[in-house]
Amino acid sequence: MKDIVLKVKNLTKRFPGVTALDNVNFELRYGEVHGLLGENGAGKSTLVKILYGIYTPDSGEIYIDGRKAVITSPIDALKYGLALVSQNPQLIDKLTIAENLILGLTKLGLMTPIRKIYGKLRELSEELGTEIDPNIEVWKLSYTQKQLVEILKALLLGAKVLMIDEAATLLPSNEKRRFYEFLRKFTLKGGSVILITHKISEALEVSDRVTVLRLGKVVGTVRPNEVSIDDVRMMMFGERIKEVSYYTEEQIKVLVRNKVVLDVKDLWVLGDHGTYAVRGVSFKVHRGEILGIAGIAGNGQNELVQSIMGLRKVVRGRIIIDGHDVTNRDTAKVRKLGVGYIPDSPLKHGIAPDGSIEDNIAMLPCIAKGIVRWSYIRSLARKLISEYDIVTPSTKTPIKLLSGGNIMKVLVSRELSIARKLLIAYNPTRALDEATAIKVRKMIKRKAWEEGTSVLLVSEDLDEVLQLSDYVAVMNSGKFVSLIPKERIVREEVEKLMVVK
Amino acid sequence: MHITVVRRVKPLPLGNVLIPSLSIITGILLASLILYLLMNIPPSQFFTYVGEGFVSLETLRDFILLTILGTALIISFKGAVWNIGAEGQITMGMLAAAYVALFTNLSSSPILGKITMVVLALILGGAWGLIAGVLKAYLSIDEVASTLIMNYIAYYILNYLVRGPWKGKHTYGYIRTDLIPESVCFSTLPIRGITITYEEILLLIVTLVFAYVLLYKTALGVRIRILGSNPEALKAAGVNVKLLIITLLTISGAISGIVGAIQLAGYLHRISYPIETHTPYLGYTAILVAWLSMLDLRAVPIIAFIIGSLNQAGRLLQIAGVGGIAVTYLFIGTILMTFTILRVFSEYKIKLIKG
Repeated sequence: MKDIVLKVKNLTKRFPGVTALDNVNFELRYGEVHGLLGENGAGKSTLVKILYGIYTPDSGEIYIDGRKAVITSPIDALKYGLALVSQNPQLIDKLTIAENLILGLTKLGLMTPIRKIYGKLRELSEELGTEIDPNIEVWKLSYTQKQLVEILKALLLGAKVLMIDEAATLLPSNEKRRFYEFLRKFTLKGGSVILITHKISEALEVSDRVTVLRLGKVVGTVRPNEVSIDDVRMMMFGERIKEVSYYTEEQIKVLVRNKVVLDVKDLWVLGDHGTYAVRGVSFKVHRGEILGIAGIAGNGQNELVQSIMGLRKVVRGRIIIDGHDVTNRDTAKVRKLGVGYIPDSPLKHGIAPDGSIEDNIAMLPCIAKGIVRWSYIRSLARKLISEYDIVTPSTKTPIKLLSGGNIMKVLVSRELSIARKLLIAYNPTRALDEATAIKVRKMIKRKAWEEGTSVLLVSEDLDEVLQLSDYVAVMNSGKFVSLIPKERIVREEVEKLMVVK
Repeated sequence: MHITVVRRVKPLPLGNVLIPSLSIITGILLASLILYLLMNIPPSQFFTYVGEGFVSLETLRDFILLTILGTALIISFKGAVWNIGAEGQITMGMLAAAYVALFTNLSSSPILGKITMVVLALILGGAWGLIAGVLKAYLSIDEVASTLIMNYIAYYILNYLVRGPWKGKHTYGYIRTDLIPESVCFSTLPIRGITITYEEILLLIVTLVFAYVLLYKTALGVRIRILGSNPEALKAAGVNVKLLIITLLTISGAISGIVGAIQLAGYLHRISYPIETHTPYLGYTAILVAWLSMLDLRAVPIIAFIIGSLNQAGRLLQIAGVGGIAVTYLFIGTILMTFTILRVFSEYKIKLIKG
């Protein structure tokens, strides 16, 4: 068949303790957006990583344009026109965007003038509808911005199949809309897209067909107009989905909430560029209250969070947690007050990939001091594993062998379990499947409402912020441009405030 | 047919045993080949000496000292902090022990004297590690360079003392200190041909138990391991990483310092000038022990025994008039080189793909 660009036949891949892919068959047509859905650890990332030559399959075959293809490295994959935009951006931090792109562009030849690349880059980023300065070093970019660069890289390489692994999930909705429009244009020109996302509704909206994976097996391939969201949920999670639902207001116990837990006064913090990233921010979070910060990535949210955690120097202003002045005090002091922290880049700042789940729990000074009681740590690890359905062969398995979503679960569950006074969370449900994401949001709510933990929630996912927060602050260019109580939130207003210059 | 190199999801089964063993065997074979080609030493003669190294009672001393040093180094290496300065830390330990033995009244009491010697050796060895730790933690000075440089500072301090203020009265023209009082010399086991002492066996056991508890039972141990994997995550968890680096290098240096006390009180009994040619460079050899043990504490004594035996074989070759100390370095070089190459296989595999 001429119209099939990519065909996967009986693909199997085993990892120690789990079968990530079990006899998977999959077809991608020219000009289609093909959604790939499944809960964390279902095998979605494994499949695209095999197609991109990062993993080699244990058995099975890949056909491209009807011819058998052997893909053993990303270089091979790119030769076949397959490009992956992954959950974790694969860019070199010390180089600028342009330099990173040039590195990937062996196709253009060594002698291509840089001006030409700039031109092409500008053309593409206009098409994508994002502003990008090619001379910025990559380490200064936020996670979302890095992923945009990845997408640009794939496009510059002239990929005919774009594999997008969660890369679009956290784009602000107006950028996301433009991004999906762009994908549409790309498919109209004959390109094909494999889209991995946890947002079922989005997948159904933009995909021509959707394939659902569960525990490494294909459950089925459907057309969006033939199924409902609930049908797809059943395919993804089976019976488990029925257990998850949001708290209703009636179930929530109202606490005494007059005590200020986090008090930030006129905070000024420098960013990596040497200019102020946080410009005079003041706010209070009371006991049991959730303050959500909405904003486009890179408007000072990360710097704000880091300075509260004692990971970045405060130039001016005060940070008071539970009555203790922690301005420019070290992280140990902040943590001792009972603060949980889910950082922006979980793999870098949250967990140690070589360590086991037990090690990653015992590394926290608030859990283990002096002699470690491993039996206690193990029982804690088991509790988190069963509570959050973490897929792992054992509590001693190195974290790096788990799937992206499961790694995130370890981090989130650990931090939730230690946040007594305050939880500071940056994109807490990134890379989590819908069922787990709902569970985590529910846990955050429960922490706040039942245990009185205060929460500072930064999320690039506006839905998440709106769902959870008692107050929503909109952060733009280092300032809080607005602080709105839950009852008075209008989504469109918030979005407007996020982008206004 | 394609040949590709693929990263292993799970390290090679038994790799931690297979790779060091293969490295040692290949390394010895390579060394014998080089000696045959360069110096015309017949392999049969060479292997006789190697075999003798393994059964020689003299080997026991190297075995004990290398085990202690290897332990000191894996504590640091596990945290991805590369302490190359065991030599300097040993030297400072020796200096400390010599000071107690030669210039204090404590040497009149055997037990108190010996304990003070060891404790002061711990402190000075530790201080030598601490300096490198502070430089790394607060000024980001690479510990590989600083610990290496500090080896020479330690040598020269001790050499200065031996040539000047510490020079002995009864040295027959040699530049060296007097013998330390017999009361503080460690007591050799009463078996013919054995040169090890009760005290060093005790110190070996204490060191191993200490390291085991530290690495596997304490929060500090967990943090040392995590430091080697992701220091940023430790910072965010609220661990003082600067203090951790300093602690780590201090502990590593302190344990190395003990070896200086053992060398002095166990068999040297005096310090001769220049110090660096009167000790067998065990501080460097221990780096090999730490690497070949794959940073696994249980493997340290085994590897220490093998390397100690090869060290002894080198010495026997030297006595037999074939080659000098260079022969020992040849072993270290060929084994470490083979190991570096083979180690790749524990992380990667080579796959043949048909089609």
